[in-house]
Amino acid sequence: MSTLGSLHRRGYGKTLAGILIMAVYLFPVYWMVVTSLKPYKEIFAVPPKIFPDPATFGPYISTVINDPDVHRAIANSVIISVGAMLLTLVLGVPAAYALARLRLRFTGVVLLALLASQMLPAINLSVPLFVLFKYIGLINTYPGLILADTTFVLPFSIIILRPFFLGIPGELEDAAMVDGCSRLGAFWRVVLPLAIPGLLTVGALALVLVWGEFVFGLTLTISNNMQPITVALNRFIGQYGTQWNKLMAVSTTVALPVVLLFAGAQRYIVSGLTAGATKE
Amino acid sequence: MVTQNRNPARLKGIWRGKDQGRVRRLGEYLFVAPAVVFIVLLMIYPLIYNLYLSVRDVNVGTFLSGNAPFVGLQNYEQVLGDPTFRHSLLISFVFTGASLLFQFIIGFALALFFHRPFPGNGVMRSLLLLGWLLPLVVSASVWKWLLDGDYGVVNYLLQSLGLVHGRQYWLTNPDTALGGVIGANIWLGIPFNAVLLLAGLQGISESLYEAAKVDGAGGWQRFRYITLPQMRPVSLTVLLLGFVYTFKVFDVIFIMTGGGPATATTTLPILTYNQTFQFFTFGTGAATATLLLIISLTLSVAYLLLIRREEAT
Repeated sequence: MSTLGSLHRRGYGKTLAGILIMAVYLFPVYWMVVTSLKPYKEIFAVPPKIFPDPATFGPYISTVINDPDVHRAIANSVIISVGAMLLTLVLGVPAAYALARLRLRFTGVVLLALLASQMLPAINLSVPLFVLFKYIGLINTYPGLILADTTFVLPFSIIILRPFFLGIPGELEDAAMVDGCSRLGAFWRVVLPLAIPGLLTVGALALVLVWGEFVFGLTLTISNNMQPITVALNRFIGQYGTQWNKLMAVSTTVALPVVLLFAGAQRYIVSGLTAGATKE
Repeated sequence: MVTQNRNPARLKGIWRGKDQGRVRRLGEYLFVAPAVVFIVLLMIYPLIYNLYLSVRDVNVGTFLSGNAPFVGLQNYEQVLGDPTFRHSLLISFVFTGASLLFQFIIGFALALFFHRPFPGNGVMRSLLLLGWLLPLVVSASVWKWLLDGDYGVVNYLLQSLGLVHGRQYWLTNPDTALGGVIGANIWLGIPFNAVLLLAGLQGISESLYEAAKVDGAGGWQRFRYITLPQMRPVSLTVLLLGFVYTFKVFDVIFIMTGGGPATATTTLPILTYNQTFQFFTFGTGAATATLLLIISLTLSVAYLLLIRREEAT
């Protein structure tokens, strides 16, 4: 009791409570990883085993390592995520810069429209996009999916990036232009390097969000071999039946890049998430 | 808002005369033009096109030929007169309301917990965000497994506590399926609520609490008379934004139940999907989509007005 008391006085009581809360909260994630490491029979053990004993990589070997369907779906997701991220940066960075420098009524209208577009249900775009893409042959193609996925990362990217450019004093560009830089040159050589934290935030967030995208992947593809891994995962639920260990192995694999990116670029992602969720 | 402190004399040196000022303006418009063109072509035009679809009889046959007959508001009449639409509307509101209520309460409690520093606080807050970032498909699959009737952990825990007898097929029983997807969605929304509410708590001036302490206010009184009223604007923002984001949830429900069993979890986004991509009645799908959009838009406008007002004060 006295040790507990002293722990409490130093603030460790809250730490203990916090660990308990986090254990409950993160249990689903833990259970996903544990299930993915169990042999088939073990997932039906009653009572369920908290630790995988014996642990096996079998579920990974038969899916992520050896199943060409999984390979294809992951490759699709990589192509779509990287494509949409690059398109977002190419369109969003100059736009955010101009919106930070232009002081017109125009800016307010555009920003408001961007905020509103964040709240658009994905299904509202996927119905007309399906019909339009069908007419112009973009259904079931990478460009089609990259364009569609960019619709939900571009608006918030501009919202997140604009404050970064607002924080860069205009004198810097003016000085560069006195020294003979063109406007584009000043933007490219002076402003852009200073905005790198902003670019990293947007790049990381765009990757994470597009990697997890589901609705466009579901509605704008026709054949299985064009589906991103998120849609393929849903297909596997039916395909694997009760082989939850395999399903959790694929789930863990889909989650892994997000976790790694988060661990590596946490500072950037967190600032972006809160900025994207509310106002700037 | 950062005001730019430019030296007018030096500016004159670079931009001699009005013409060059205009050239500069033009340059800035060119910077923003590609993004505007993209948004017009891939967001605004499709939304307008959706309205066009909603007043035409677009089905499998007319879709391919490309000349669907104009039918006026017939699709809307059909949708609004259809009991499945009203059922879906109700399901959508129950799903959103129940999710928000619990997410908000739990999120608020967590925000209060993490407000004061303690060892490990930062790490735990980061871990909390992880649940938010995980692809929805992953979380939904995991919850499907947790709620599995035969070998799900949730059943095991509830049985051990004596709360449930026998096997409960949460997601395939029409009486419990909605509760099941709401449960998973609450889990998903907790970090969002906790993070934004925590930011709100940290915005409350410490001097208010100190003054109250001097006046002899206890912990509960400080919470009741300082924290709660000070948190009102942030709470309203979080709830409105939460409503807009929850009302449009598709992935979680689609993966866990597909809108079923029967129509037990068919929310408006799922109904729109079914009409368009299952039954290929693009016209009615577009009409339902428009009605969904009107609801989302109304609340979005409410949210935008709210943050405008906050910015003004």
